[in-house]
Amino acid sequence: MENGTISYIQSLREDLGIFRVTPDGGVPDFKAGQFLTLGLPLESKIVNRAYSIASSPDNKKFFEFVIRWVRRPLPGRLTSLLFNAKVGDKISWAKPAGNLTINDTLPSGEKDTRRIVCIGGGTGLAPFVSFAQHLHDTNDKREVVVLHGASYVDELSYKQLLTDLENDSIDKGKDKWNFKYRAAISRPEEWTNRAWNGHKGRIEQFLRSNDAGKSPLEELVGEKITKDNTMFYVCGWQGTIDGTMDYLKNKNFVTEKNKRDDGSYEVKFESYG
Amino acid sequence: MGMAEEIITEPNYEKLCSNILNCNEHVRFAGFVNDKSQILHSAQKDNLDSLLAENEIGMSIHYTLERWRKAQNFTFRLGKERLTFTEYDNVTLVTIPFKGKLLLVSTEPRIHYDPIIEKINSILTDWEK
Repeated sequence: MENGTISYIQSLREDLGIFRVTPDGGVPDFKAGQFLTLGLPLESKIVNRAYSIASSPDNKKFFEFVIRWVRRPLPGRLTSLLFNAKVGDKISWAKPAGNLTINDTLPSGEKDTRRIVCIGGGTGLAPFVSFAQHLHDTNDKREVVVLHGASYVDELSYKQLLTDLENDSIDKGKDKWNFKYRAAISRPEEWTNRAWNGHKGRIEQFLRSNDAGKSPLEELVGEKITKDNTMFYVCGWQGTIDGTMDYLKNKNFVTEKNKRDDGSYEVKFESYG
Repeated sequence: MGMAEEIITEPNYEKLCSNILNCNEHVRFAGFVNDKSQILHSAQKDNLDSLLAENEIGMSIHYTLERWRKAQNFTFRLGKERLTFTEYDNVTLVTIPFKGKLLLVSTEPRIHYDPIIEKINSILTDWEK
């Protein structure tokens, strides 16, 4: 394991925070969407856990993570240590890994120009924050849609950054940077969410067709979603993955794990539950 | 041999609220909420004015549920939460978890609570039999 320092902690809620780790020897090369294994000492042992990286691989100053402190049925050991850590504390890390990365080419070797739709449930948004910043910083011309599902408005961890990226898309024009961000709140009736007037329900319902046969996602992008024009990336609880696939299977989308004989697929996912 | 099927019966919240409201003269209000802040049923003594405005009731339920959720973070060490009291100058709020929902009861303040709690627990236990 390599050494680093916790260089920034932003508490968004009692159980949700943004953490930055500055590696002693600088940020190594990695791909947007990968995760990093962090380690902290506990009772003379090192406790490890992997977290998706939210920062862009083009950011060579620090790794950033958005982390939820789940405590039921039992609190996670490393996450509990992180939520009791202070800026300046030393932390160890192992090299970035993971396969939820952006496909730039098709199995045929041709450039993949399909629209990228990212569906993140809760902290499953993290890899797509990395995607969005990287695609922006590398002047990628593909259309990018980031959909974030949360229970409460104060869990929309990167609302400002993603709204800024959408505003930049409006300012520059779609031919330069084509980006859209939408969120869904699954408990709209709760008092915390009283001011929410965006999409209500589970995030995968963006794919559910209305009476006119169009889904909110299709209304957003202005055309029918097909496996030839859209590539989906999904990260979240298994329920989010299953819910998404319930809609996409009917449209003949297949996942990377069940790819066709020619190597083609249109859904890549990673679940954390 | 097939497995025995568990029959899950939803409580009659209206009847439970009525029984709790009428179990003691000092009880002002009884209601059940789910974990999405939805009031499943509630009842209040006819002759009393509500101490909170409509939007304040939503806020109060939110605070109660937030506290309940956070308290459950210690279940693995302390066991399940059974009862809470908050005594204000003008009212006492009692919460009792019941079948994944939360029973909210308000009473007059500074009274003997034990008989009321015993009666409420008896009503809830009777339903479970």
